[in-house]
Amino acid sequence: MTVTLVVDGAVHEVPGEVRDGSVLVTPEGLHAATGWALEPEGLCRGDVCIPRYRLADALADALVDVAGVGAVLGRAVAVEPAASIAVLAGAPDDLGATITSGDAPAFTLPDLDGNPVALSDFAGRKKLLLAWSSW
Amino acid sequence: MDAARSCAREETTVPLTFTVLVDRDHAWAEAYGVINVPTTIWVDEQDRVVRPPAIAPADDRFIEFTKFSALPHHEQLRAWVRDGVAPMTDQEVRSRREPPDPQLQLARAERRLAMHLRRRGFDDLGAAHLDRALELAPDDWTIQRGSLPVRGKDPFGQDFFDFYQRWESAGRPGYPS
Repeated sequence: MTVTLVVDGAVHEVPGEVRDGSVLVTPEGLHAATGWALEPEGLCRGDVCIPRYRLADALADALVDVAGVGAVLGRAVAVEPAASIAVLAGAPDDLGATITSGDAPAFTLPDLDGNPVALSDFAGRKKLLLAWSSW
Repeated sequence: MDAARSCAREETTVPLTFTVLVDRDHAWAEAYGVINVPTTIWVDEQDRVVRPPAIAPADDRFIEFTKFSALPHHEQLRAWVRDGVAPMTDQEVRSRREPPDPQLQLARAERRLAMHLRRRGFDDLGAAHLDRALELAPDDWTIQRGSLPVRGKDPFGQDFFDFYQRWESAGRPGYPS
């Protein structure tokens, strides 16, 4: 079975299942979608590991509960089991670190024809980013 | 996407000479800490933010509501583009920013989930999660105002003015000065 995991706006269809109202994914699926890997010592990404003893609520047999992962990572999670979909929001600490660093976060978004455009396409130039809405 | 396309056409009577991008999931808005529209952010040649998100109307049509005049922003922008004069120091840019609070992040997750559910045809489930987002972030413009068209409501109708008055009475929370 496949479940949908939305991470920072990107949609990932990953192996998993819905059980008792929770959206569960395989460790491989979680890694593909988030970069967090389940290792013998815990849940790890780069130099950071959340130790195993803190993962009790995030593990369900061989699968990982997305809501539990969100809880240990301090990231908000919204779940709809009836549609097998979970959304993992950005970590306030990560967003805060980026926002207060003064660096412009990299991004890629579609233009009106659907072609991807990245901030880095305008490297070495001044950029005026203007947000408005289609309402 | 269609709405964005027609908006881009309506906004100008001359061909657009700048790139228009669509942030359907509010992923960009979240990463940059955008509070409302119209917002501008200035980014220099080294990809450093030289002016953090600021409410910056193109003109003074709605100054009664926005309380922001367009003129100082335009003058600062010209000085930066022509002469490289930054409107504030790097320290000021950084000190003006705050990390999002956890409840706002949860509201954003619920909104994002709602929009994905709607796209997949789960309209009722989507509506329930959108309601949750609205409850969690009563003062957030992006979630409150940005949800009006999705909920079939006029973004400049009574619901908008009700929200505006509540937010104004609460001391304009979340807005930069």
